[in-house]
Amino acid sequence: MTDSIRQFFADRKLRDYATGYAFVLPALVMYVIFVVYPFFYTIYLSLTKWDGAKPVKEFVGFLNYEKLFADPRLWSALSHNFIWIILGTVTPVAIGLFLGVLLWRGVRGMVFFRTVYFLPVVLAPVAVGIIWKWMYNPQFGPINSTLRAVGLDVLAKGWLGDPYLALPAIILAGVWGYFGFCFVVIMAGLQNIDMEQIDAALVDGANGLERLWYIIIPGLRHVLTMITAFTLILGVNVFDIIWITTRGGPGRATHVIATYTYNTAFRESYVGYGSALAIVMGLVSLVLSFIFISIRERGGD
Amino acid sequence: MASAMTIRPRRPMGFWIAKGAQYGMLILFALFVLVPFMWVIFTALKSNLEIAQEPLGLPPNWRFENLAQAWNQGKFSRYFINSVIVTVPIVILVVSLSCLAGYGLARLKMPGRMLIFYFFLVGLMVPFTAIMIPLFYILRDIGVLGTYWAMILPQTAISLPFGIFFMRAFFSGLPYDLTDAAKIDGCNDFGVFRRVMLPLAGPAVAALVVFNFMGSWNAFLLPLIYLQSDKLRPIMTGMMFFTTRWGPDYSMSMAGTLIVMAPIMAVYLAFQRQFIQGLTAGAVRG
Repeated sequence: MTDSIRQFFADRKLRDYATGYAFVLPALVMYVIFVVYPFFYTIYLSLTKWDGAKPVKEFVGFLNYEKLFADPRLWSALSHNFIWIILGTVTPVAIGLFLGVLLWRGVRGMVFFRTVYFLPVVLAPVAVGIIWKWMYNPQFGPINSTLRAVGLDVLAKGWLGDPYLALPAIILAGVWGYFGFCFVVIMAGLQNIDMEQIDAALVDGANGLERLWYIIIPGLRHVLTMITAFTLILGVNVFDIIWITTRGGPGRATHVIATYTYNTAFRESYVGYGSALAIVMGLVSLVLSFIFISIRERGGD
Repeated sequence: MASAMTIRPRRPMGFWIAKGAQYGMLILFALFVLVPFMWVIFTALKSNLEIAQEPLGLPPNWRFENLAQAWNQGKFSRYFINSVIVTVPIVILVVSLSCLAGYGLARLKMPGRMLIFYFFLVGLMVPFTAIMIPLFYILRDIGVLGTYWAMILPQTAISLPFGIFFMRAFFSGLPYDLTDAAKIDGCNDFGVFRRVMLPLAGPAVAALVVFNFMGSWNAFLLPLIYLQSDKLRPIMTGMMFFTTRWGPDYSMSMAGTLIVMAPIMAVYLAFQRQFIQGLTAGAVRG
């Protein structure tokens, strides 16, 4: 036995391999136990009916998934994720691009503006949520107080209590916390754009919009795909800021897939059904990632 | 946008209009960021009566004692200590395991190297929600629920795929001459890693430290589920419970929020370059 081990290590190549695996192994063990195994465990739980306490997990096959398709709460939550993804991507990217182009060629106070725009990015989503919950406070919140102070009392509202306004209101808070990230990444991308092309376009008489559309945006292609990927992931996973501001309310007006899943599995103790929701969320995330990767691959270089 | 880009020295009048419009927009967005902060600070330093009477203006008396009161009422010292206790080991574990695995997957020969790398990459696509439910029961069964490990272990594991992806990309970019030279001088693989490669990885490691520090310091859902005991609660869930409990006491809840935000903002202002690099590390390189 020991001979064969010694022989194994005497082989130079095998010893090299062993070194390689030794580098990777600690991370691999952590990853398998706390990410891969739980993922398959979720699939298993999604096929059961369980309240988290009973000793027996009742196997029910695809029953939870059949219920999912008929569950209007799931579709409403997914539609909120969809709105979050669209508005939560387009708005901060547009703002970031706008500010990036304004600051591109260097402006006095550049460092100041960058520092300020990025400031909310270092805050936790929890803090962003608490700040904006106060901004939207119907009684003394700064937004309503300002409206009243300038005589626009009719516009003062319970922003987060209104089923139509609550979601856009939270998205605005999310944009406040996030546009600085898009701005900084876009600024970094702008540094790589060829100035000679811009000058050539100027000579040819291209106006600002044409330069933006034909030179700047194509030049930022990579950067824009990266940001879109980030905001997509954020939009699918959004939880913190919604839980802090409205907990999915009023009614179900701001529930997203993550808040619905958390609520179902941990507060209502429908562990099996919650797991099925979690799998749906995993699938949505997977499909979006594949779409994103294929777009990126097709984008070439 | 158009006007700002058509700046031409020949037209002084248009130049100044464009310049004015440009700064106007820049300042407008700066105010969009800063005004909410301003109101948090003002509200935190007023009494509730003053908030009701004058919700918008400067505090008539700057009540800095509100901060002390919130600090004492809110057990914030406990929450801060808890956050440090979980964040430090998470950052150390994620960074060291990511460096090792990232280096191994970038530079060492072994069968199935790409397969292992892709196996980790799949983890980037798995949202935390998809594993959070059974993780609760797994952590319970291995007996760590009710200890700090209930956050340290899963937070480390979910942070590994990005860390490995990031460090592997970095180590792949280093020249091979260095490795060969060190090997001729008699270094083994670990020696090459420790003495040659790791010292070069300073900026990448710094970015990963910032990224993971922020990720675990700001984590909310994970401690909400796995660190439910008030004794273990880190700052983010602690802040939520504080503001919920003091809900209608606006002055107290804003004072608590200010206490939580202030240190991270101070560190950001001192090290803003490192912060910006760290938090955009994943996006800028691509």
